[in-house]
Amino acid sequence: MEELDGEPTVTLIPGVNSQKKQMCFDWGPGEMLVCETSFNKKEKSDMMPGCPFIHIIRKNEDVYSQILRKLFNESHGIFVGLQRIEEELTGKSRKTQLVRVSKNYRSVIRACLEEMHQLAIAGKDPASDRQFSIQVSSLSAMELIWNLCEILFIEVAPAGPLLLHLLDWVQLHVCEVDSLSADVLGSENPSKHERFWNLPGNTQTLTELELKWQHWHEGCERHLQDGTFASSPHLESLCKIMLGDEAALLEQKELLSNWYHFLVTRLLYSHPTVKPMDLHFYAQSSLDLFLGGESSPEPLDNILMAAFEFDIHQVIKECSIALSNWWFVAHLTDLLDHCKLLQSHNLYFGSNMREFLLLEYASGLFAHHSLWQLGVDYFDYCPELGRVSLELHIERIPLSTEQKALKVLRVCEQRQMTEQVRSICKILAMKAVRNNRLGSALSWSIRAKDAAFATLVSDRFLRDYCERGCFSDLDLIDNLGPAMMLSDRLTFLGKYREFHRLYGEKRFVDAASLLLSLMTSQIAPRTFWMTLLTDALPLLEQKQVIFSAEQTYELMRCLEDLTSGRPVRGEPDAQQLQDDDVETTKVEMLRLALARNLARSIIKEGSLEGS
Amino acid sequence: MGEMVSVINTVDTSHEDMIHDAQMDYYGTRLATCSSDRSVKIFDVRNGGQILIADLRGHEGPVWQVAWAHPMYGNVLASCSYDRKVIIWKEENGTWEKTHEHTGHDSSVNSVCWAPHDYGLILACGSSDGAISLLTYTGLGQWEVKKINNAHTIGCNAVSWAPAVVPGSLIDQPSGQKPNYIKKFASGGCDNLIKLWKEEEDGQWKEEQKLEAHSDWVRDVAWAPSIGLPTSTIASCSQDGRVFIWTCDDASGNAWSPKLLHKFNDVVWHVSWSITANILAVSGGDNKVTLWKESVDGQWVCISDVNKGQGSVSTSVTEGQQNEQ
Repeated sequence: MEELDGEPTVTLIPGVNSQKKQMCFDWGPGEMLVCETSFNKKEKSDMMPGCPFIHIIRKNEDVYSQILRKLFNESHGIFVGLQRIEEELTGKSRKTQLVRVSKNYRSVIRACLEEMHQLAIAGKDPASDRQFSIQVSSLSAMELIWNLCEILFIEVAPAGPLLLHLLDWVQLHVCEVDSLSADVLGSENPSKHERFWNLPGNTQTLTELELKWQHWHEGCERHLQDGTFASSPHLESLCKIMLGDEAALLEQKELLSNWYHFLVTRLLYSHPTVKPMDLHFYAQSSLDLFLGGESSPEPLDNILMAAFEFDIHQVIKECSIALSNWWFVAHLTDLLDHCKLLQSHNLYFGSNMREFLLLEYASGLFAHHSLWQLGVDYFDYCPELGRVSLELHIERIPLSTEQKALKVLRVCEQRQMTEQVRSICKILAMKAVRNNRLGSALSWSIRAKDAAFATLVSDRFLRDYCERGCFSDLDLIDNLGPAMMLSDRLTFLGKYREFHRLYGEKRFVDAASLLLSLMTSQIAPRTFWMTLLTDALPLLEQKQVIFSAEQTYELMRCLEDLTSGRPVRGEPDAQQLQDDDVETTKVEMLRLALARNLARSIIKEGSLEGS
Repeated sequence: MGEMVSVINTVDTSHEDMIHDAQMDYYGTRLATCSSDRSVKIFDVRNGGQILIADLRGHEGPVWQVAWAHPMYGNVLASCSYDRKVIIWKEENGTWEKTHEHTGHDSSVNSVCWAPHDYGLILACGSSDGAISLLTYTGLGQWEVKKINNAHTIGCNAVSWAPAVVPGSLIDQPSGQKPNYIKKFASGGCDNLIKLWKEEEDGQWKEEQKLEAHSDWVRDVAWAPSIGLPTSTIASCSQDGRVFIWTCDDASGNAWSPKLLHKFNDVVWHVSWSITANILAVSGGDNKVTLWKESVDGQWVCISDVNKGQGSVSTSVTEGQQNEQ
């Protein structure tokens, strides 16, 4: 178990400088709140009145950078692609494919770097220029490190080609110096060596190459010792350099931008067939020689050193500390995991490290109003805690628009996160009711399969109908389909509307049967019976007889039931009905109509056979 | 992680006296604050702004805590105060109003906490009179009260609900039927104890467990959100300067074991979990808020110190220990 590498850094929050005050803290979904307080709960605060400020703090501001957003978006595509082709990665082509993925990542970083660089030199204002410059060097470092990791860990360049790769690496990242000498040191020699080695289609073995090189090297040494170049100090110096003499190389220190440039140059001249496992010896000594005890290694140096030592774990750890967001370590670790490198280097928690980093990265994305969608995919590919993390985060996304809500719901539904679906639909239903959008509220409650809420909304609909005499959102109610069964009240609403439709279509007999069944089946709430009976009036008053005798008896029974004085909670009791004039009149009219209908129906049924 | 931590917004609450609590709503779009000036304020803090939405008056003493209910119940906020009252506020037609007042306590009410939304709208309140009351919304503006008297001798300082866990299988329940949740919550008191409470089948609350480890008043308890593992975790902090992490692996919830997170030099007042339960924040008398994270081998490490004071704000916060080692 490692010791803590350093003390955790302290973050200071600007505030009134008072030694007596304490800090109150709470978590928001994506941020932190701090404010001054006094925890001692006394009625009167005996100190100075508190500071009225509350600070909202967020980490991971990078999520909000416009340019980095491209990085996040495009790398997301590469990440998902990699997860998907995993099964197809076999045999020899596997390595090539993984290298290609790595190069893809790097090209995305480079693209960002370019853009950022343009902005940095655009000269808008010193503050943002500085910001951009910082970002540029950060991205630059990332590409440098990633490239090295690609060479050492993914490409797994064997002895021989390893140096060529390292040369490319150095040239790409370091040799921006225009000086001619740099060219001499850098570019000319590789090509010379390339010709010498004749690598394309090379049939020589490493040993043969090494022998040839040794031969050449010895030749050079002889020339030096023989004093062939004695007359020209420059040529002599050049010869020494070509022999890999460290002192001579270091004399040209200004041309070497840093220790790894020095390292590669040195290797080029003294150990061109360096084996990967020997790399770290030269790396360490190069670093020491180059720094010459004048300065100490910086974080970047440590990271590169760890890479040269093939300590993947250390590389990831150092990067995590040095870089300002999780993007780099999350994606690199994931790639290395696909290369099956983490297990062998990391007995304890191989894939857990990958998952840990991906979870942290994805969580950060959820702080952003649209990048959260990328985060979803990352969670999907975390087998242990991805799902539950997604569940916790997705519920916290503010559902500011219907469109966004639908997006969120789709994500949940695709993953069978029924609890979250229900919860979100309930929230939206509640919001809709508060804004009097009953149709919307009803759809949401149906989607949430929330019977109680559906009942509530249906009641509102019915109340609206009673007040205004018409329905709102007819389309919705007409097309409820099986969803109608969600709650009794909803079923009633649907059926009642159907009654109105049937009546409108003049299908009176059907309408009449439906109306009656609404009462006899107890689907209609008793509070609504009066309305239903009143609705029956026009049917009773029609020229033709619509209600049969039996149906009429039923209706009469219902009316008597309603007026009989059986008090039920929440309903107007019989006494009330009797006392209310309007109600009394209605009841009387109904009784009359029913009686008349009864008479007519009896006659009708009596006179026609089997009608 | 060398993360840049930056202050993205500073809300001027204009409270005239000490602020005792500040809570973000579920989505991080609104902020509720309460103060010794007896008011509860609500701000809209979207996009770095601060718009005062409501200035709620109703308490007659310092207000100690506020708590947001789950958004599926609308915009509902609870507050508790030295005036022995618990007030529930609700936003109706765009305005915030008092929707209920609970006066069942004989002493300051110190803590309020809403139950998981799956249980309905239920509020637990802990008071200096030693009792804990549970308010359940039963509809049509009615609230049912259950009281646990003498939950803690001298007083109860904190209440925190366990996350909802449906026992048995997770088969989709037919709509309209409520699954049988086992409702539990934790409380911390002046008797130096943490108690775990469970609702019995008859609806009564029974003390299920006593967790003893502190040597002074327990100031706060926080039950960690569930991340799907069978372990339950509770954090507690006390006047004795200690913070304990209690874990229970047992499915029946009986064997709790404490682990000392840290012993601070001063009273520790407040502990709270981040929403994915991977970081614990501890606010103490030493004017600092420290953030803690558990590493793979079970050790808790401090990942950052957030300190109030003068100075620049953009110092990098370093996680000293990346150790999943």
